[in-house]
Amino acid sequence: MRTTILGLLTAALLAAGVGTAAAHHSFAPFNMESEKTITGTVKKFDWTNPHTWIWLDVTNEKGVVETWGIEGMSPNYLARRGWSKNSLKFGDKVTIVIRPMRDGSPGGMFVKATLADGRELRPTGQAVD
Amino acid sequence: MRRASSFLAASAATILTITALGGTAVAQTPGRTAPTATDWAALAKLPDFSGVWEISMGGGGGGRGRGLPQGPSLTPEAAARRKQLQSLGREDSQTANCLPPGMPGIMGQPYPMEFLLTPGKVTIVIEAYMQVRHIYTDGRPLPEDPDPKFHGTSIGRWEGDTLVVDTIGFSPLTELASNVPHGGKMRILERFRLTGPDTMSIETTITDPDVLTAPYTTTRVLGRHRSWTIAEYVCQENNRNFVDEKGKAGINLENPSGVPAK
Repeated sequence: MRTTILGLLTAALLAAGVGTAAAHHSFAPFNMESEKTITGTVKKFDWTNPHTWIWLDVTNEKGVVETWGIEGMSPNYLARRGWSKNSLKFGDKVTIVIRPMRDGSPGGMFVKATLADGRELRPTGQAVD
Repeated sequence: MRRASSFLAASAATILTITALGGTAVAQTPGRTAPTATDWAALAKLPDFSGVWEISMGGGGGGRGRGLPQGPSLTPEAAARRKQLQSLGREDSQTANCLPPGMPGIMGQPYPMEFLLTPGKVTIVIEAYMQVRHIYTDGRPLPEDPDPKFHGTSIGRWEGDTLVVDTIGFSPLTELASNVPHGGKMRILERFRLTGPDTMSIETTITDPDVLTAPYTTTRVLGRHRSWTIAEYVCQENNRNFVDEKGKAGINLENPSGVPAK
């Protein structure tokens, strides 16, 4: 199993008891041992509680466009860590690392995103005043 | 006529009693008198709890009352019950369905809270699940037989610079800790105090004679963020998580706000 800095950070956060996504629900639907990278076009960005949702159109190996749903932290939490409702826009080309759904459906938990201009979005980090 | 005169006599006696008690009548009916300018001015002498507070990174937390380094010391019955609940393999709790965790879990969320001090009362505005705690500091006693509530019924008092909050009467839908249902006599004592210019400590001691063999004390450290405001948190706005009756957790990926998901 590959150990990533993010994995270690997640483990550290969990150990510290600062459950991020865990505050509202468990990680049970996601395969937390696994990472998957998907690239596509933003169809919609739900800046909503209790979680943000990125809907990403991804062309699969058969050439068919599938819409993936990616769950992120709440807008409340992310807004205090540099995000806004405009962090992702319709039509943005973006590569997103996720913890995929255990049942194989097109979805997962947000880990990080890289935009076409190289900008990175992460859900964690020091809160800003 | 006879009844009317005895009523008048009783009324007169009541008036005389109230007059005789004078100022103490106020203490007998806390919260029933209008705060005075002196009451408002007295607030300025209390520690400055203003601003928005969030549990600091590594400051202890975790939803639903867990995430604490040492677990509570359980009675054999409560330990067996926890083991049984754990064996059911419940993947999630009702917060996935947007039911708030109640006490003590609501105080450990990764979202901020704000303390409002008014005469005779401290109100805690909690961002997570848009919850509010009402703590009466007007000298009233705790009720003998409170209705069970998610946050219980709280009274508070100032011991020097420490706000001491005593809470009883919890809904059976709240947990003492993860997979630890509380008993009917659970009592939570919290001590809030400033430990630095922008830091606060909340020491929480839970007693529960039906469940715990010893008081269960945990401490959280909060940091102040003066520039923050409490944000809205309507859990039902776009909740795609759920847990069914058997405790199985799931996610609904259908129909993202009118845009059909493939």
